[in-house]
Amino acid sequence: MLVALELYALFAIMSPGNLCVTNAGYVANQINNGLTIGFIYALMAVGLTLIYSVQGIVSFAHGQFYMLGGYVSYYLLQIFVGLNPVVAVPVAGLATMLAGLAFDRLFLRPMQLGRIERAGEYAILVTFAFGFFLEYTVLAAVGPFSQKTPPFLEAGSLNLGPLLLIPNRLVSAAIGVVLIVALLYFLNRTWLGKALRAVSMDKQAAAVVGVNPLTMNTLAFGIGTMLAGMSGAALIPIFTWVPWVGSTAATRSYVIIVLGGLGSVRGALFGGLIIGLVEALGAGCYPDPSKGAAYKTAFGLIIFAGMLLLRPTGLFGRRE
Amino acid sequence: MNPSLARRWMGTGVLIALLLLAPLYLSQNAYRMSVVTGAFFYAILASSWVLLAGIAGQFSFAHMAMMGIGAYTSGLLGRDLGMSPLVGIVLGTLLAGVIGLLIGFLCLRLRRAYLALFTIAFSEILRLILLTEFQYTGGANGLRLAPLYRGITPAVGYYITLGLLLGTMSLMYWLTSSRFGLFMRAMREDQDAAAAMGVNVVRYKIMIFVFTSMIVGLAGATFYHQVGILTPNTMELLQMSLVIAMAVIGGIESLLGAAVGALVSRIGLEMLREINILGFHFELGAWRYAAFGLILMITLRFAQNGLIYPILNRLFPQQVRKPLAKSETSGGGPS
Repeated sequence: MLVALELYALFAIMSPGNLCVTNAGYVANQINNGLTIGFIYALMAVGLTLIYSVQGIVSFAHGQFYMLGGYVSYYLLQIFVGLNPVVAVPVAGLATMLAGLAFDRLFLRPMQLGRIERAGEYAILVTFAFGFFLEYTVLAAVGPFSQKTPPFLEAGSLNLGPLLLIPNRLVSAAIGVVLIVALLYFLNRTWLGKALRAVSMDKQAAAVVGVNPLTMNTLAFGIGTMLAGMSGAALIPIFTWVPWVGSTAATRSYVIIVLGGLGSVRGALFGGLIIGLVEALGAGCYPDPSKGAAYKTAFGLIIFAGMLLLRPTGLFGRRE
Repeated sequence: MNPSLARRWMGTGVLIALLLLAPLYLSQNAYRMSVVTGAFFYAILASSWVLLAGIAGQFSFAHMAMMGIGAYTSGLLGRDLGMSPLVGIVLGTLLAGVIGLLIGFLCLRLRRAYLALFTIAFSEILRLILLTEFQYTGGANGLRLAPLYRGITPAVGYYITLGLLLGTMSLMYWLTSSRFGLFMRAMREDQDAAAAMGVNVVRYKIMIFVFTSMIVGLAGATFYHQVGILTPNTMELLQMSLVIAMAVIGGIESLLGAAVGALVSRIGLEMLREINILGFHFELGAWRYAAFGLILMITLRFAQNGLIYPILNRLFPQQVRKPLAKSETSGGGPS
């Protein structure tokens, strides 16, 4: 916090004419934007970190599941014209969950059963390969055009003092909040959720008390990909969609889960909000606004490098 | 001479002779020539990735980024400071090594997933920066690079790239058969055991990362001086995925398998650009890559030694090494 303040003071001295220094309302709006979008970033990253915590692998196809979720929503709304995009969110989640479950059964289950040598390396490559396959299958099928669904809400922006609220974005953030709350309820209050967490803590001990780790592995992968697909469906009414939209989103998720600590759900939630803030303030305050938008992911890389140097276990990571 | 060894040497000799004579046929068609030269370039990328990932066990996705650093450095120095391509190539190679050192220092102390995560983020962001700073880098329009020397012909470019391929392959083969190579394999099998035996794991890991970064930096700088134009898209994850697919299909633990895999895949992808079957014309476009991804997944799952390495191994069987202890005790007699 102190470091952030000092950085801000330094920034203010270096660049006195910047809107971020002269206009508090502008800063407030950037913070608002960052938090709004941060909930969806968090939602997507939670899926990735959940897979890691249970299976011990990072899915390098996560961005492509997110992309797929967006396209499911897009085509659903093409078929049923006039449907609200909110309805498409669970449908997209279901579709990506099915894809994830199929992938897990066909390609990850043999690894968990010990049928494949060098499991860790195989996991990196096979998830990466699946992402590659998904991206180019979608590209070949839909073409390289940018697409967008209608907004959640047509209403214009609301003025709340200096704050400018965009209802369309608020709905998206609300979807993020609702899903995160539901997920936390599931993980902490239901038998299945507790079983999942048990497997992530200790596979053998979980097996002893009657939890099948294999089932939990598949379940975690299904939930993880579902969350990625839902994030995609929650963002396609706001951003335009192209088949290669996944790689930037995935990069952001990697930064978030390293920031929060690999495998930590709480870490991914806070990490998502922090990265949302950093991106919004970074893009808004970068001296050359036309470049700020492009550089916002680059700020993530600086955070990534800093975490690797100073605290590789992340903010909430388990010590190993 | 051992018959299987003789067969290997003969096979290598015939292959090299064919590659040396190929321009006689290829030079009639500039497009074909450039495809094969490009395939050599990919063979360098795929085989050095095999050294890094398949043999040393470091799964880096920044291989193309290192290539791009070498090429961009040389190109920018040539354009803005008027340096000759040769100096540019040397400096580009060195810079790729330095960046490799920094990334290695950052990630290789940690577990494997961190390297993969960081390098994927690094290459995406490097590409974005090169696109954004278009007034320096040319952005999406690309950066023009001077030819290696005035009046260079495609055939010379072919031989330079081939020479680079053979040179780097020999270097890498020498390295893997040295003591250093033994350490690499030991670290991959069991890092803790290797450390316990006195191998300085982190230092060797960083060294191999720097070494492969420099190889691809050199290859990138040299190759793009021949192509003449460089865009950030060459560092896209698609290109990285293709290199990985070539290495896996060729054989992830075999330098030669990966190189042959790259040659076959690269030429195959070009030939499949459009096909005519029974008078029907197909533009395959992105479907080729989708199919490539599927083949990659299936190879990973069912043929962990790749598709090409087993064939090479069948054609040119490795000489079976006699167990050392046994041959010594039996007094060197035939076993």
